[in-house]
Amino acid sequence: MTISRRAFMKAGGLALVSLGADPLFVDRAAYALRQQLGGVPSGKTLVCLFQRGAVDGLSMIVPAGDPWYWRERERIALPKSELVTLDGMFALHPRLAPLKPLWDQGSMAIVHAVGSPSTTRSHFDAQDYMESGTPDRKSTTSGWANRYCEHAREHAETPFRAVAFGPQLPRMLAGSAPALAIDDLRAFGVRTARSEGNERLTRAFESLYDGAATGLVASSSAEGFEAIKMLKSANPTALPPANGAVYGRGKLATALQQVAQLIRADLGMQIAFVDVGGWDTHVNQGSGQGQLATRLDEFGGALAAFTTDLGDRMRDVVVLTMSEFGRTVKENGTGGTDHGHGTAMMVIGGGVRGKQVLGRWPGLAPEARHEGRDLAVTTDFRALFSEVLTGHLGTTDLASVFPDFTPGARLGLFG
Amino acid sequence: MNRLGYGPTPGQVEAVVQEGVMRWVDRQLAVRDLRDPALEAWERPYEVLRTPMSAMVAMHTDQLAKALKAQAQGADSGTLRTLQVQKRQADGGGKRDLRELLGELQSVTLARAVVSDRQLAEVLADFWLNHFNVYIAKGFDRAYFADYLERTIRGHALGRFEELLVATATSPAMLFYLDNVQSVADNSAVATMATRAARQPQRPGQMPRRATGRPGTRPQAMDPARAEQLKARMPRGLNENYARELLELHTLGVDGGYTQQDVINVARILTGWTIDRRGDHRFQFLAQAHDRGEKVVLGRTFPAGHGEDEGRALLAMLATHPATMHHLSAKLCARFVADVPPDGCIDDAVRAWRQSDGDIRTVMRAIVHSPDFWALTNVQSKTKTPLEFVASAVRAVGGAPDATPRLASQLQRLGQPLFNMVTPNGYPEASADWVNSGALLARMNAAVALASNRLPGVTVQLDQLVPVTADHEALLNAVNRAILGGAMSERTRIAIRRELADITDPRAARAMAVGLALGGPEFQRQ
Repeated sequence: MTISRRAFMKAGGLALVSLGADPLFVDRAAYALRQQLGGVPSGKTLVCLFQRGAVDGLSMIVPAGDPWYWRERERIALPKSELVTLDGMFALHPRLAPLKPLWDQGSMAIVHAVGSPSTTRSHFDAQDYMESGTPDRKSTTSGWANRYCEHAREHAETPFRAVAFGPQLPRMLAGSAPALAIDDLRAFGVRTARSEGNERLTRAFESLYDGAATGLVASSSAEGFEAIKMLKSANPTALPPANGAVYGRGKLATALQQVAQLIRADLGMQIAFVDVGGWDTHVNQGSGQGQLATRLDEFGGALAAFTTDLGDRMRDVVVLTMSEFGRTVKENGTGGTDHGHGTAMMVIGGGVRGKQVLGRWPGLAPEARHEGRDLAVTTDFRALFSEVLTGHLGTTDLASVFPDFTPGARLGLFG
Repeated sequence: MNRLGYGPTPGQVEAVVQEGVMRWVDRQLAVRDLRDPALEAWERPYEVLRTPMSAMVAMHTDQLAKALKAQAQGADSGTLRTLQVQKRQADGGGKRDLRELLGELQSVTLARAVVSDRQLAEVLADFWLNHFNVYIAKGFDRAYFADYLERTIRGHALGRFEELLVATATSPAMLFYLDNVQSVADNSAVATMATRAARQPQRPGQMPRRATGRPGTRPQAMDPARAEQLKARMPRGLNENYARELLELHTLGVDGGYTQQDVINVARILTGWTIDRRGDHRFQFLAQAHDRGEKVVLGRTFPAGHGEDEGRALLAMLATHPATMHHLSAKLCARFVADVPPDGCIDDAVRAWRQSDGDIRTVMRAIVHSPDFWALTNVQSKTKTPLEFVASAVRAVGGAPDATPRLASQLQRLGQPLFNMVTPNGYPEASADWVNSGALLARMNAAVALASNRLPGVTVQLDQLVPVTADHEALLNAVNRAILGGAMSERTRIAIRRELADITDPRAARAMAVGLALGGPEFQRQ
C-alpha cells in the first residue's frame, strides 16, 4: 500500500490538533496546504552516494581501450575476459555487472575524468571541497546540497526534504536549511521499554527542548520531533520491497532500501545522502577478486536492488555517485594505488540520457596525466552537480549553490 | 569539570568548591601518570590488560590460518563462525577470542573515563588517541591495538610531544595502519627481489619467506594459487600513505607549507621502518628496504646513507616545527576552550610549547590559565561528543559500569564507536559534527534508559542521589542539584514539572525527571 502525499497531508493536519504542534510544523503544514491548492511540487528525488576514501575510477569504469591502462597496472588491471563492455573504450568492473541492464536501457550515464579543480591529495580536504562545493576555499561553512535547499523553497514543508542515512549529518548537508540524519529508519524516535509510553515521552522531550534549547540543538530537535510525527502517520518501514527486488545484507543495502521506502511513502524527500566507505585501497587492491571487488560487489548489488524496487518511480529519481578523487594511474609498490586526481561518477535514473560515457577522455599517457601521475580532470565536479540540479531538480539559481563557478558547455545528461 | 574531565560525580561539585576550583585544576594538571591505584581495582576483571601483544598476534595469526584453510576447503562464512564457536568450546570456554578481548578494551576505556579521578589525564589520552587515530579492525591492528592504547598513547599522553610522535611512528599499530610496513625504496633489494619473483613462474622454495608475512609458513606446503596471490602482494616500491598523514594530520597540518615532493621524500626517508613480523612484531629498521639516496624535506637536506637516523631526525624536525606547534595548539584549544578557538589562547599555548620544548602538561597549563579559557562566551559553548555525553551521564548518576562491552556499545548507537574511526583524521570535535536530530533522539533514549536503570552494562544507585518522593518540588530540586549542578533553567523546570503533574507513582516520576534532565538540552553542553 502506498500512502499518497495528499493522504499524508490530511493525516498530518489531524496530528496537528491532537499532538499540540510546534509553530514550525504549523507553518509547514500551511505551506503544504497552499501547495496542494495551487499544485503539488514535483516529486523528484536526488540520491547522492559518496564513495568515501577515493574510489579507483579506473577500476570501476575501466578504460579498456587505453593501452596505458594495461601497461601501468601489472597486478591490478582487470582480466580482459571478465570485463563488462560498455562501448568501444570503456567497460564496467565485472562486479558491477548488475548495473549493465540499466546501461542497456539507457538510464545510466557515466562521467569520466571528473573531479575537483583543487590539486590537494588530502582525503579530508578533497571531501570537504566536494561537499562544500567550493574547492580550495576552506572558510565555507555550508554544504552545496544545503545551499540548494536554502534557495529553492518549494519543498520546505517537510522535515524529510534532505535526509542523510547514518548517525551524523555529512558536510554536504550542513547549513541553515533543515536536514535529518537517520541512522536506521526503523529505530527513529523516542523509545521506552513499554511502547505505550513513547508518545508521552516524545511530547515531554519536545516541550523541554522547545523551552530550553538554543541554536543548533533547538533546530535539530524540532526537526526530529516533527519527523517522528510524520513517520508515525506514513509508516514507510512497513513497505516491503517491490517488483521482486532483493536487497543484500550490509549497511549500504539497508540504507538504500530505506531511501526507497521514504520515496515510496511520498514524504517529500528531495535529497537523500548515503555514505559508502572503504575505497582507500593503498595495499592489495586486487582486480577481479579482492578488496575493491568486494566493495564494488556490494555497491552494484545494492544499487541494482534499489532501482528494481523503485521500478516506475525511477522516472522521478536520479542516483549520483561521487568520490573525493581518483587514484594513481600506475599501481604502487604494494599492489594498490595512492591518492590521485580524476575519477568516474555514475548518474542513474529514468530521466537520464544514458548509455553514454560523458566528458572528455584525456588519456592515460604520462604526458596527458595530472602531474605525470594521475588521470587528469576534464570535467569540474561542479559542472556535473549543476547539471543534475538543473536537469533533475529544476534549479535556476546555481550561483547561490556554487558561488564563483560558471558551468561551461553542458554534458548532455538530460533531455 | 565538564571541560577538563567527563563531568562531575554526585557531590563532586560541592567538594571542589570547598577545595577551591583552582586547586582542583592544579591537581588535575599535576598528574604525571595514568596509572592510578584507585583505578587498578576497576581494571582487574579485564583480561585484555594482562594479555601480551605476542599472545594477541598468535590469536590473530591462528584465526587467519583457520579462515584460510576453511576457505581453501570451500567453507562459507557461516561455517567459519561455527568453527570458531566450536574452537572456543573445545578450549573449555576459558580462553577468550580476540574479538572478546577487544570488546573488553572498549569497555575498560569507557570505564576509566567514568571512574578515574585523573580526569584531565583521561581526556588527554582520548585526545591523543584520536589525534593519532588507528582503526582497530584493520588486519593485524586487531592484535596491535591494545598495546598501542596502553603503551604508545597512555604511556606518552602526559609527556613531551616529540616522544609521543616517535612512539606512534615506531608503533606496530601505526606502521601497519598507514601501510608504512610495506613501503620499500623503489630500487632497493627487497623491491628488486619481489619484482623478480613476480616475473618468474612459481617454483617451490624460491619465495623469500618474509613475503608470506607469517612465521613458519613453508612455501612448499602452499597451493600454487595462494603462492601467486602472495607473490603479487610483495612490496615493490614506495607507499606514501603514512608520510602524507604524518605531515598533514600528525604534525604540520594541512596548511603547513609542504609539497607533494616533500611527501614523497618523507616516504623515502621512512622506507625500511617496518615491523619484525617473523619475530616479536615490534618496530624494525630493515636496511635492505631503505632508500639510500639524499632527500630534501621542507628545504632541509637529509644526507644519503644515514639509515634509521634520517627518520629520527625528520621526526625531531617535525615535532618542533612552528607549524606543528600552531596546529597542535589550535587543536588542543578547540578541544578545551571553544570549537573556533580564540587566537589569544592559541598564542599562549604556542608560547608554552616553545618554552617547554613541547611538554604537553605545560601547554595544557597555559591553556587552562589563559583568560580565554574562563571567558563567559567560551564556557559551555561546546556540545558534548557521544563519549563525553555517555561518560558524563553515567558519572552524574553515580553509575558503575560492568566489565562487558554493553555500555561501550551505546557509543556506536550515538555515532562514535570507540577505536572504529576508519580514516586517520579521527573523530571530529565541533558541535556541528554531533548535533543532529537523529543523534539527539538517540541521546534522549539513552538518558531515559539510564534513569530507569535499564541501560545495559551499567548499574545506577539513584536512591542516595535523588530520593523517591511524592513532593515534585523536592524532586525537581534534587534533580537540579544532582544532575545539572544547580544550573536548571526556569523553562526546563516548568517543562519537567508539567510532565510530572499526572504521574502518581513516585518512582516513575523520579525516572521521568532524571531522564528528562539527562536527555535535555542543558546536559548536552560541555
